[in-house]
Amino acid sequence: MDVFLAIRFDGGAVTEFLFNSVILRGVRNTLEVTILAMLLGTVLGIALAVMRVSHSRPLAGVSAFYVWFIRGTPVLIQLLVVYNGLPQMVGSDAFTHFLTPFRSALITFSLNEAAYMAEIVRAGIQAIEPGQMDAAKSLGMTNLQAMRRVILPQALRVVIPPSGNEVIAMLKNTSVAFVIAFVELTTAARLIYAVNFKVMELLVVASIWYLIMTTAFSVLQAELEARLTIVERERAIPLTTRVLRTLGGGRER
Amino acid sequence: MKRWLRRSLFLACVLLLASFAAMACGGGEEEEGGVTPGVGAAVPELADGTLDVGSDIAYAPIEFFEEGTQNPMGLDIDLAKAIADELGVKVNFINTGFDGLIGALQAKRFDVVMSSMTVTEKRQQEIDFIPYFTAGTGILVQAGNPKGIQSLADLCGKSVAVQLGTIQVDQLNAQNEQCAQKISITTFDQNPLAVEQLRLGRADAVTADYPVAANDARLSDGALEIAGPQFEAAPYGIGLRKDSTALNAALTKALQTLMDSGQYDKILADWGLEAGSIK
Repeated sequence: MDVFLAIRFDGGAVTEFLFNSVILRGVRNTLEVTILAMLLGTVLGIALAVMRVSHSRPLAGVSAFYVWFIRGTPVLIQLLVVYNGLPQMVGSDAFTHFLTPFRSALITFSLNEAAYMAEIVRAGIQAIEPGQMDAAKSLGMTNLQAMRRVILPQALRVVIPPSGNEVIAMLKNTSVAFVIAFVELTTAARLIYAVNFKVMELLVVASIWYLIMTTAFSVLQAELEARLTIVERERAIPLTTRVLRTLGGGRER
Repeated sequence: MKRWLRRSLFLACVLLLASFAAMACGGGEEEEGGVTPGVGAAVPELADGTLDVGSDIAYAPIEFFEEGTQNPMGLDIDLAKAIADELGVKVNFINTGFDGLIGALQAKRFDVVMSSMTVTEKRQQEIDFIPYFTAGTGILVQAGNPKGIQSLADLCGKSVAVQLGTIQVDQLNAQNEQCAQKISITTFDQNPLAVEQLRLGRADAVTADYPVAANDARLSDGALEIAGPQFEAAPYGIGLRKDSTALNAALTKALQTLMDSGQYDKILADWGLEAGSIK
C-alpha cells in the first residue's frame, strides 16, 4: 500500500504543543525582544536620522558610518560578536555574566533596528519640502525646534508603513538568536523536536504563532496609519480592508 | 568629470559582485568517479557509486574539519572511508546539524548517519543502527575544578552548557528530576559553542561524549580538564533507514571484514581511541 504517498503528519501533536510551556516561553521571549528592540531602536534611529541630515559634518559622518557598518554585516555575526566575541576579548567575569542570551539579543537587535530605522526616518524627513524648514525658521524657531515641531510630525506619516514592515521583519529575524541559546520561538520548537523528532509538526506550531504575532503587528500598523492620515475618506475605509492592505504589501528584508 | 568618476565606481561595484558570484560557482564541483562494480552493486543506495554519509562535523576527534580547510577528518571519517573501500564505492560527507540528522536521513538526503550517534531506544524507534564503537559521557570543567564536580549528581544547582539533541541533554534532564536544586541547562547547536561558554565562565561544566570532552581538554592549553570518570558507556551506531536492509547487511559485513583484518584496530589506534573498541 506504500505505492501512494505515505504522509506522516501527526495533527494531534500540533494541538498538543501549541500551548506547550516551552513554546509559550518562546513566544514571550520573541515578543519581549521584538518590542523592546523596536522601542530602543526607534529612539536611537530617530537620533541617527537627525544627525544624518544635520549640517554638522562629523555628526552626519558618524551616523552614516554606523548605518554602513550595521547594515553591511549579518545579524548572525553581530549576535556572535556580542555574546561570544566581546566577552572573550574583554575577559571580565562581570561583563560576561552581564551579557546573558536575552541581553545580548536585545542589544544586537536594538542596534540593528536603529540602523534600519535611521534610513526610514531620514527618507521621511527628506520627503518633507525644504520650504517647511525655511518657514519654521522664519518664525524664529531653531533648527532643532523646527525639526521637533514641524518636520518630524509630518515625517511620521511617511515613516509608519515602512517601519511596521521593519518590525515584522525583525520579529522573524529574532529566530537567528538560536546561536546564542536564546530560547525564542524557533529555538523552543527545535528543543522539542530534537527529542521527539516531530519536525514538521513543531515547525507548524512555530509558524502558527509567528502568523498570530505578525498579524497583530499588522493590525496595530493599520490602526496607526488610519489615525495619522489627514485625508478623511481614507479614514472611512474599514479596518479589515486596511489590515489586508498592510498584510499583503511590503518588501521583506 | 564627477559623473565619470561616479559611473566608473558604479561599474567597479557591479564587477566586484559579479566576480564574487563567478568565484563561488567555479570551485566546489565534486569530481564524479566512475561506478565501480563491487559488493555495492546490489544495494540500491550505492547504485550511484557513492556512500553518502550525514554527519555534524564539529565533534573532534570523531569528526571535524582539518583546521582552515573543508577536509573532514576523524574516527568516523576514517572508518567510513575504510567501509566504502571495502564496498568499492566512494564516500561523500554531508555536514548537517546534529538535531536534524535523523530527519534528513529519513528524507533520503544521505544513505547513512555517522556522527558519534549513541544508540538509544528512542532513536531506534526512528532508524536502525549498526554498532561500531563505544563511549560514555565525560564532564568538562575549568582547570582545577573550582566547583568540585565529580559526577552527574554534582551538577545539581550548577549551570551546564550542552549540545542540542544529544544524549547528554537526556541525561541532564533525567538527573534534574532528582535534583533538589535544578541544573540550569543551556543548549547550543554545536559542541564548540557550548565549550566556549565554559571557557568564558558562563557555564560551570559541559557534558559531551568522553573522547570529545577529553580532546577539548587536551586542546585547551590547560584551561579545561575532565572531572571524574566517564559514565553510561553506550555504543555508537551507523544510522540507517529502516527499509535499507540490503545496505545494512553490506555495511555489517564490511565492518566485520575490517575487524577481522585488523584495520579496525589500526584506525582506532590512529586516533588513540582503542578504549572504545567493540571487538
